[in-house]
Amino acid sequence: MKVFSNSETFNYSWEEVSTANWQKYCPWNEKSTHVIAVDTISRSVDPATGILRTERLITCKQTAPEWLKSILGAGMEESQVLETSYVDPAHRTVTMVSANLTFSSLINVQETVVYRPLNAHQTQFTQDAKITALCGGWQRIKNSIEDTMVKRFRENAIKGKEGFESVLAMSRRVFAEEREREKMGLIREQASNIRMAA
Amino acid sequence: MSQSLAKQCNEVKERYDTCFLKWYSEKYLRGIGAIDNNECSALFKEYSSCLQVALKERGIDKLLEDAREDNKENDAVYLGRKKCKIRALGPVFLSALMICSRIFIFHV
Repeated sequence: MKVFSNSETFNYSWEEVSTANWQKYCPWNEKSTHVIAVDTISRSVDPATGILRTERLITCKQTAPEWLKSILGAGMEESQVLETSYVDPAHRTVTMVSANLTFSSLINVQETVVYRPLNAHQTQFTQDAKITALCGGWQRIKNSIEDTMVKRFRENAIKGKEGFESVLAMSRRVFAEEREREKMGLIREQASNIRMAA
Repeated sequence: MSQSLAKQCNEVKERYDTCFLKWYSEKYLRGIGAIDNNECSALFKEYSSCLQVALKERGIDKLLEDAREDNKENDAVYLGRKKCKIRALGPVFLSALMICSRIFIFHV
Protein backbone atom coordinates (compact mmCIF):
# COMPACT_ATOMS: atom_id res chain seq x y z
CA MET A 1 0.00 0.00 0.00
CA LYS A 2 1.14 3.50 -0.81
CA VAL A 3 -0.15 6.73 0.72
CA PHE A 4 -0.46 10.14 -0.83
CA SER A 5 -1.15 13.10 1.44
CA ASN A 6 -1.60 16.74 0.60
CA SER A 7 -2.80 19.88 2.32
CA GLU A 8 -3.70 23.29 0.87
CA THR A 9 -5.13 26.57 2.08
CA PHE A 10 -7.74 28.46 0.07
CA ASN A 11 -8.25 32.17 0.76
CA TYR A 12 -12.02 31.85 0.72
CA SER A 13 -14.55 31.29 3.48
CA TRP A 14 -15.72 27.75 4.24
CA GLU A 15 -19.19 28.65 2.95
CA GLU A 16 -17.75 29.76 -0.39
CA VAL A 17 -15.50 26.70 -0.69
CA SER A 18 -18.21 24.23 0.25
CA THR A 19 -20.57 25.82 -2.31
CA ALA A 20 -18.00 25.95 -5.11
CA ASN A 21 -17.07 22.35 -4.34
CA TRP A 22 -20.29 21.25 -6.08
CA GLN A 23 -19.09 23.02 -9.23
CA LYS A 24 -15.49 21.94 -9.02
CA TYR A 25 -15.59 20.10 -12.34
CA CYS A 26 -17.49 22.65 -14.41
CA PRO A 27 -16.23 24.39 -17.58
CA TRP A 28 -14.75 27.18 -15.39
CA ASN A 29 -12.17 24.61 -14.36
CA GLU A 30 -9.84 24.26 -17.31
CA LYS A 31 -7.31 22.16 -15.42
CA SER A 32 -9.28 19.08 -14.43
CA THR A 33 -10.15 18.04 -17.96
CA HIS A 34 -9.73 14.37 -17.05
CA VAL A 35 -13.14 14.55 -15.33
CA ILE A 36 -15.68 14.24 -18.12
CA ALA A 37 -18.92 13.76 -16.15
CA VAL A 38 -20.29 14.22 -12.64
CA ASP A 39 -23.65 12.73 -11.71
CA THR A 40 -25.52 12.91 -8.43
CA ILE A 41 -26.74 9.43 -7.54
CA SER A 42 -28.39 10.11 -4.20
CA ARG A 43 -28.80 12.96 -1.76
CA SER A 44 -30.39 13.26 1.67
CA VAL A 45 -30.25 15.25 4.89
CA ASP A 46 -29.85 13.20 8.05
CA PRO A 47 -32.72 14.37 10.30
CA ALA A 48 -30.81 13.72 13.53
CA THR A 49 -27.60 15.57 12.69
CA GLY A 50 -28.56 17.83 9.77
CA ILE A 51 -25.66 16.33 7.79
CA LEU A 52 -26.11 16.45 4.02
CA ARG A 53 -25.04 13.13 2.49
CA THR A 54 -24.44 13.01 -1.26
CA GLU A 55 -23.29 10.26 -3.60
CA ARG A 56 -21.72 11.40 -6.84
CA LEU A 57 -20.51 9.28 -9.71
CA ILE A 58 -17.43 10.82 -11.26
CA THR A 59 -16.40 9.68 -14.71
CA CYS A 60 -12.78 10.22 -15.69
CA LYS A 61 -10.95 9.87 -18.94
CA GLN A 62 -7.27 9.59 -18.42
CA THR A 63 -4.51 8.08 -20.41
CA ALA A 64 -2.58 5.41 -18.60
CA PRO A 65 0.98 4.34 -19.37
CA GLU A 66 1.09 1.62 -22.05
CA TRP A 67 2.48 -1.03 -19.71
CA LEU A 68 -0.34 -0.46 -17.24
CA LYS A 69 -2.93 -0.67 -20.01
CA SER A 70 -1.61 -4.09 -20.94
CA ILE A 71 -2.11 -5.29 -17.34
CA LEU A 72 -5.51 -3.74 -16.74
CA GLY A 73 -6.73 -4.56 -20.22
CA ALA A 74 -8.73 -2.58 -22.73
CA GLY A 75 -11.25 -0.01 -21.59
CA MET A 76 -8.74 1.82 -19.44
CA GLU A 77 -9.81 5.06 -21.13
CA GLU A 78 -12.91 5.61 -19.01
CA SER A 79 -13.14 4.95 -15.31
CA GLN A 80 -15.62 5.70 -12.55
CA VAL A 81 -15.25 6.82 -8.96
CA LEU A 82 -17.96 6.90 -6.29
CA GLU A 83 -17.64 9.95 -4.07
CA THR A 84 -19.68 10.00 -0.86
CA SER A 85 -19.69 13.37 0.83
CA TYR A 86 -20.89 14.57 4.22
CA VAL A 87 -21.51 18.26 4.86
CA ASP A 88 -21.77 18.94 8.57
CA PRO A 89 -23.09 22.51 8.98
CA ALA A 90 -22.82 22.38 12.78
CA HIS A 91 -19.12 21.47 12.80
CA ARG A 92 -18.55 23.26 9.46
CA THR A 93 -16.78 20.41 7.73
CA VAL A 94 -17.11 18.80 4.33
CA THR A 95 -15.75 15.26 4.22
CA MET A 96 -15.55 13.42 0.91
CA VAL A 97 -14.69 9.74 0.70
CA SER A 98 -13.97 8.38 -2.77
CA ALA A 99 -13.41 4.87 -4.01
CA ASN A 100 -12.73 3.53 -7.49
CA LEU A 101 -15.56 1.53 -9.08
CA THR A 102 -13.60 0.50 -12.14
CA PHE A 103 -10.84 -2.12 -11.77
CA SER A 104 -11.78 -2.56 -8.13
CA SER A 105 -10.66 -6.19 -8.22
CA LEU A 106 -7.16 -5.12 -9.32
CA ILE A 107 -6.56 -1.92 -7.49
CA ASN A 108 -8.09 -0.20 -4.49
CA VAL A 109 -7.94 3.58 -4.24
CA GLN A 110 -9.50 5.19 -1.17
CA GLU A 111 -9.34 8.94 -0.93
CA THR A 112 -10.51 11.16 1.92
CA VAL A 113 -10.75 14.92 1.50
CA VAL A 114 -11.76 17.29 4.30
CA TYR A 115 -12.53 21.01 3.99
CA ARG A 116 -12.71 22.93 7.22
CA PRO A 117 -12.42 26.62 8.15
CA LEU A 118 -9.12 28.01 9.39
CA ASN A 119 -10.74 31.37 10.11
CA ALA A 120 -13.54 33.50 8.61
CA HIS A 121 -11.67 33.98 5.33
CA GLN A 122 -9.57 30.85 4.90
CA THR A 123 -10.34 27.18 4.39
CA GLN A 124 -8.05 24.23 4.76
CA PHE A 125 -8.13 21.30 2.37
CA THR A 126 -6.58 18.00 3.44
CA GLN A 127 -6.32 15.03 1.13
CA ASP A 128 -5.21 11.54 1.97
CA ALA A 129 -5.24 8.67 -0.50
CA LYS A 130 -4.44 5.01 0.08
CA ILE A 131 -3.51 3.01 -2.99
CA THR A 132 -3.31 -0.77 -2.90
CA ALA A 133 -2.63 -3.00 -5.89
CA LEU A 134 -4.55 -6.23 -5.33
CA CYS A 135 -3.50 -8.34 -8.28
CA GLY A 136 -1.55 -11.46 -7.48
CA GLY A 137 1.94 -11.77 -8.79
CA TRP A 138 5.19 -10.03 -8.38
CA GLN A 139 5.62 -7.43 -5.71
CA ARG A 140 7.60 -5.40 -8.22
CA ILE A 141 4.58 -5.09 -10.50
CA LYS A 142 2.35 -4.15 -7.58
CA ASN A 143 4.86 -1.52 -6.51
CA SER A 144 5.03 -0.10 -10.02
CA ILE A 145 1.25 0.14 -10.25
CA GLU A 146 1.04 1.86 -6.87
CA ASP A 147 3.88 4.25 -7.73
CA THR A 148 2.20 5.18 -11.01
CA MET A 149 -1.01 5.98 -9.17
CA VAL A 150 0.77 8.07 -6.53
CA LYS A 151 2.49 9.99 -9.34
CA ARG A 152 -0.89 10.58 -10.97
CA PHE A 153 -2.34 11.81 -7.68
CA ARG A 154 0.55 14.25 -7.32
CA GLU A 155 0.06 15.62 -10.85
CA ASN A 156 -3.70 15.91 -10.40
CA ALA A 157 -3.32 17.61 -7.00
CA ILE A 158 -1.39 20.51 -8.55
CA LYS A 159 -3.86 20.82 -11.42
CA GLY A 160 -6.77 20.38 -9.01
CA LYS A 161 -5.68 23.29 -6.83
CA GLU A 162 -5.21 25.59 -9.83
CA GLY A 163 -8.54 24.55 -11.34
CA PHE A 164 -10.45 24.96 -8.09
CA GLU A 165 -8.93 28.42 -7.55
CA SER A 166 -10.42 29.59 -10.86
CA VAL A 167 -13.82 28.05 -9.95
CA LEU A 168 -13.73 29.87 -6.59
CA ALA A 169 -12.87 33.20 -8.24
CA MET A 170 -15.62 32.79 -10.83
CA SER A 171 -18.13 31.67 -8.22
CA ARG A 172 -17.42 34.72 -6.03
CA ARG A 173 -17.90 37.02 -9.04
CA VAL A 174 -21.19 35.38 -10.07
CA PHE A 175 -22.59 35.51 -6.52
CA ALA A 176 -21.59 39.19 -6.20
CA GLU A 177 -23.30 39.99 -9.51
CA GLU A 178 -26.43 38.21 -8.38
CA ARG A 179 -26.51 40.12 -5.09
CA GLU A 180 -26.07 43.34 -7.05
CA ARG A 181 -28.96 42.43 -9.34
CA GLU A 182 -31.17 41.62 -6.36
CA LYS A 183 -30.25 44.94 -4.73
CA MET A 184 -31.03 46.87 -7.93
CA GLY A 185 -34.35 45.07 -8.21
CA LEU A 186 -35.17 46.02 -4.61
CA ILE A 187 -34.27 49.67 -5.23
CA ARG A 188 -36.42 49.76 -8.36
CA GLU A 189 -39.29 48.21 -6.43
CA GLN A 190 -38.97 50.74 -3.62
CA ALA A 191 -38.80 53.60 -6.13
CA SER A 192 -42.00 52.48 -7.81
CA ASN A 193 -43.68 52.10 -4.39
CA ILE A 194 -42.71 55.67 -3.53
CA ARG A 195 -44.02 56.89 -6.90
CA MET A 196 -47.29 55.07 -6.33
CA ALA A 197 -47.66 56.52 -2.85
CA ALA A 198 -46.95 60.05 -4.07
CA MET B 1 -22.15 22.87 -14.62
CA SER B 2 -20.54 19.56 -15.40
CA GLN B 3 -21.89 17.12 -17.96
CA SER B 4 -23.84 13.95 -17.24
CA LEU B 5 -22.50 10.53 -18.10
CA ALA B 6 -25.59 10.15 -20.27
CA LYS B 7 -26.12 12.90 -22.83
CA GLN B 8 -29.91 12.49 -22.73
CA CYS B 9 -29.90 13.48 -19.02
CA ASN B 10 -27.91 16.71 -19.46
CA GLU B 11 -30.86 19.04 -19.70
CA VAL B 12 -32.65 17.85 -16.55
CA LYS B 13 -29.33 17.51 -14.70
CA GLU B 14 -28.55 21.18 -15.44
CA ARG B 15 -31.92 22.26 -14.06
CA TYR B 16 -31.50 20.11 -10.96
CA ASP B 17 -27.91 21.28 -10.28
CA THR B 18 -28.99 24.93 -10.53
CA CYS B 19 -31.89 24.32 -8.15
CA PHE B 20 -29.67 22.46 -5.67
CA LEU B 21 -26.93 25.08 -5.66
CA LYS B 22 -29.44 27.83 -4.90
CA TRP B 23 -31.00 25.75 -2.10
CA TYR B 24 -27.57 24.84 -0.69
CA SER B 25 -26.16 28.37 -0.59
CA GLU B 26 -29.31 30.28 0.31
CA LYS B 27 -31.12 27.87 2.60
CA TYR B 28 -29.14 24.86 3.78
CA LEU B 29 -25.97 26.70 4.84
CA ARG B 30 -28.05 29.39 6.55
CA GLY B 31 -30.26 26.87 8.31
CA ILE B 32 -33.40 28.25 6.63
CA GLY B 33 -36.49 26.33 5.59
CA ALA B 34 -37.23 22.63 5.42
CA ILE B 35 -34.43 20.25 6.32
CA ASP B 36 -34.67 18.43 3.00
CA ASN B 37 -34.40 20.20 -0.35
CA ASN B 38 -38.05 19.84 -1.22
CA GLU B 39 -38.14 22.44 -3.97
CA CYS B 40 -35.59 20.38 -5.93
CA SER B 41 -37.01 16.94 -5.15
CA ALA B 42 -39.23 16.69 -8.22
CA LEU B 43 -36.33 17.66 -10.49
CA PHE B 44 -34.07 15.15 -8.78
CA LYS B 45 -36.61 12.39 -9.31
CA GLU B 46 -36.78 13.21 -13.00
CA TYR B 47 -32.98 13.36 -13.34
CA SER B 48 -32.57 10.16 -11.34
CA SER B 49 -34.97 8.12 -13.46
CA CYS B 50 -33.13 9.26 -16.60
CA LEU B 51 -29.77 8.35 -15.09
CA GLN B 52 -30.85 4.94 -13.76
CA VAL B 53 -31.47 3.72 -17.30
CA ALA B 54 -27.98 4.77 -18.39
CA LEU B 55 -26.34 3.19 -15.33
CA LYS B 56 -28.11 -0.10 -15.92
CA GLU B 57 -27.16 -0.13 -19.60
CA ARG B 58 -23.49 0.29 -18.71
CA GLY B 59 -23.56 -2.14 -15.80
CA ILE B 60 -22.54 0.58 -13.37
CA ASP B 61 -25.54 -0.08 -11.10
CA LYS B 62 -23.97 -3.35 -9.90
CA LEU B 63 -20.63 -1.69 -9.22
CA LEU B 64 -22.42 1.01 -7.24
CA GLU B 65 -24.15 -1.55 -5.04
CA ASP B 66 -20.80 -3.12 -4.11
CA ALA B 67 -19.19 0.24 -3.43
CA ARG B 68 -22.11 1.29 -1.22
CA GLU B 69 -21.67 -1.87 0.81
CA ASP B 70 -17.99 -1.01 1.33
CA ASN B 71 -18.88 2.53 2.34
CA LYS B 72 -21.19 1.56 5.23
CA GLU B 73 -18.37 1.95 7.71
CA ASN B 74 -17.79 5.53 6.59
CA ASP B 75 -21.50 6.27 6.93
CA ALA B 76 -21.43 5.04 10.52
CA VAL B 77 -18.50 7.30 11.29
CA TYR B 78 -19.36 10.46 9.41
CA LEU B 79 -23.10 10.49 10.05
CA GLY B 80 -22.80 9.76 13.75
CA ARG B 81 -19.33 10.80 14.72
CA LYS B 82 -20.25 11.85 18.23
CA LYS B 83 -21.59 8.43 19.06
CA CYS B 84 -18.95 6.43 17.29
CA LYS B 85 -16.90 5.51 20.32
CA ILE B 86 -19.77 4.54 22.55
CA ARG B 87 -22.29 2.81 20.35
CA ALA B 88 -20.23 0.68 17.99
CA LEU B 89 -19.45 -2.87 19.08
CA GLY B 90 -17.10 -5.68 18.16
CA PRO B 91 -15.08 -5.48 14.94
CA VAL B 92 -17.08 -2.45 13.84
CA PHE B 93 -15.98 -0.80 17.07
CA LEU B 94 -12.31 -1.25 16.22
CA SER B 95 -12.56 0.05 12.69
CA ALA B 96 -14.83 2.90 13.76
CA LEU B 97 -12.36 3.78 16.50
CA MET B 98 -9.55 3.81 13.95
CA ILE B 99 -11.46 6.15 11.67
CA CYS B 100 -12.58 8.23 14.64
CA SER B 101 -9.02 8.67 15.75
CA ARG B 102 -8.21 9.76 12.21
CA ILE B 103 -10.91 12.40 12.41
CA PHE B 104 -9.47 13.39 15.74
CA ILE B 105 -6.08 13.91 14.14
CA PHE B 106 -7.71 16.02 11.43
CA HIS B 107 -9.23 18.22 14.09
CA VAL B 108 -6.06 18.81 16.06
